[in-house]
Amino acid sequence: MTNTFGRSWMIAVYLFLYIPIITLVVFSFNGSPLVTVWSEFTLKWYGKLAQDREIIAGVILSLKLAFLSGMLSVLFGTFTAFALVRYRFRGHTLLSSMANMPLVMPDVLVGLSLLLMLVSLQRWLGYPERGLLTILLGHAFLGTAYAAVVVVSRLREMDSKLEEAAMDLGCKPFQVFTLVTFPLIVPALVSAFLLTFTLSFDDVVLSAFLSGPGSTTLPLVIFSRARLGLSPSINAVAAVTIAVVSIAVIVSSIYQSRAEKQRMREIAQAYNDGNQ
Amino acid sequence: MAAEKTLKLEKNSLHQDNLLRIENLTKIYDGSVKAVDDVSLTVAKGEIFGLLGSSGCGKSTLLRMLAGFEVPTNGKIFLAGEDITNLPPYQRPINMMFQSYALFPHLSVWDNIAFGLRRDGMAKEKIMERVESLLKLVQLGKFAKRKPHQLSGGQQQRVALARSLAKQPKLLLLDEPLGALDKKLRESTQLELVNIIEEVGVTCVLVTHDQEEAMTISSRIAVMSEGSFLQVGTPDEIYETPNSRLIADFIGNVNIFEGVVDEDLPDHVTVKCPECTHYVGHGITGSSGMSVGVAVRPEKILLSKTKPKGKYNWCEGEVTDIAYFGAHTTYHLKLMTGMILKVQQQNRTRNLEGGFTWGDRAFAQWDDLAMIVLTH
Repeated sequence: MTNTFGRSWMIAVYLFLYIPIITLVVFSFNGSPLVTVWSEFTLKWYGKLAQDREIIAGVILSLKLAFLSGMLSVLFGTFTAFALVRYRFRGHTLLSSMANMPLVMPDVLVGLSLLLMLVSLQRWLGYPERGLLTILLGHAFLGTAYAAVVVVSRLREMDSKLEEAAMDLGCKPFQVFTLVTFPLIVPALVSAFLLTFTLSFDDVVLSAFLSGPGSTTLPLVIFSRARLGLSPSINAVAAVTIAVVSIAVIVSSIYQSRAEKQRMREIAQAYNDGNQ
Repeated sequence: MAAEKTLKLEKNSLHQDNLLRIENLTKIYDGSVKAVDDVSLTVAKGEIFGLLGSSGCGKSTLLRMLAGFEVPTNGKIFLAGEDITNLPPYQRPINMMFQSYALFPHLSVWDNIAFGLRRDGMAKEKIMERVESLLKLVQLGKFAKRKPHQLSGGQQQRVALARSLAKQPKLLLLDEPLGALDKKLRESTQLELVNIIEEVGVTCVLVTHDQEEAMTISSRIAVMSEGSFLQVGTPDEIYETPNSRLIADFIGNVNIFEGVVDEDLPDHVTVKCPECTHYVGHGITGSSGMSVGVAVRPEKILLSKTKPKGKYNWCEGEVTDIAYFGAHTTYHLKLMTGMILKVQQQNRTRNLEGGFTWGDRAFAQWDDLAMIVLTH
């Protein structure tokens, strides 16, 4: 009884989550130019996509932006996390909650305040022009907060005795970081990068505030086209993105679960060997 | 074993060969909490020195100051005559074996052991040679390529030991070296550890809360409480001549009678207690009329069914509890005053009948050199 109830509840939730996406993918194969009316199966929208310069430029720009802002976010986030976890100083609690503020601040406010700052900066210095650089700064700003949260949790769960052991064996503080801390937090850095990459790739709000002429990211392209009326080629773009993301997620989770199983087997093996 | 250790100790103290000297070391946290309170100590070369105490007594803080992870609030640390108080951990010729082993999970056994040598910029061939000989020493040659998680607890412990010995430290610090192992593994590992340390001949400072571990491994022990040393001495000194009620109670089991010194003569003393009168076969540093505690270890008491002769050093009671351990049995004897006397008897024969059972009347007696008179 409970089991049936639980199962149907779960199915309902998953349908709620995935029906929009499935619909979108299905209609990307729709022959009719009307988005909501199904006529016949076709691949023509995908063909059109390959010739759509605006979309291709948007994809390239977004990828570039996402990569750079992911890198910057991880770099700044790691420094922030390291300072917050490993050192105690005056105002520690205040600063550590301030590092998390951008996570809960509405994007619109962040975008607006960044815009105001950059506009007045430009008025004084004549630099920076709104464009790729300003969007990058905005994304890195938000991404740093996210990356810091991920890295902080990894550093907290890491045994600080490992760092002491490294120092005990002759490592200077910087060597402790490069030889012990860094290799051990690499998985967290990778997930922080993926998170901030995605964050940047699908951001509309900050990009809308901070973009200039000639710096139209993919979400901005989609957004502006959707306002003119939905077109099936947008569905095709979305379907491609979803396919790429799903493959990445599936491959990485298979790899992770295999590695984990292998590790468990080795631990069990070592335990048995030790007891012989 | 014990004899060997005392011999070594004598030899060392004869040469006045002090490797480690701690002077008035104090560590105060947050301005008021005294974790270590004005501790002074010398450790001779080749000695295994144990710091024993319950958790929070300051022993770990003391060890961490030796390693350089904590900066003393006051006092000095000298190693081989050199003041190392302000040296950072990576410049001290001291290595530590951590309680959790702290093996680097991303490095193989081989690389873990070679880690410290590489930091010293040692030549490759020399590192090879040194690591191989250490692997041989801890008998882990065939596990060299494994990662720490592929090893059992005992093997990990040996890797940690090899790693901490790799740089041939002048002083080796051991933080609860057997604390993370299960009971069965402990005994064999303990012997192995002592053998390896003695083979290498390194001076050790060991921290433990386990008195058995401290007694079997160390050549000398300091019992710590609330940041200071209560007593420093060889294991048998501390066990047989504790200097206070606290130590007598902390190390091993003990029965303490409270009484008043009656007769105080150079060759013997009598102490009147409500339970019985003690005849102590040696002089004490007290005077008649002084209230003292008389401590008798359970294994030094003999239990019998017949009333002992003489008027000293025995009392009568009722058996209220029996704990059978196989090799020996511990009885709880309720005396007339309500005091519970713990008595431990060796099970010398397979005496299945004629033993004591619950509710039996029994007489406990002990020798006139079996007790310790405690004035503190």
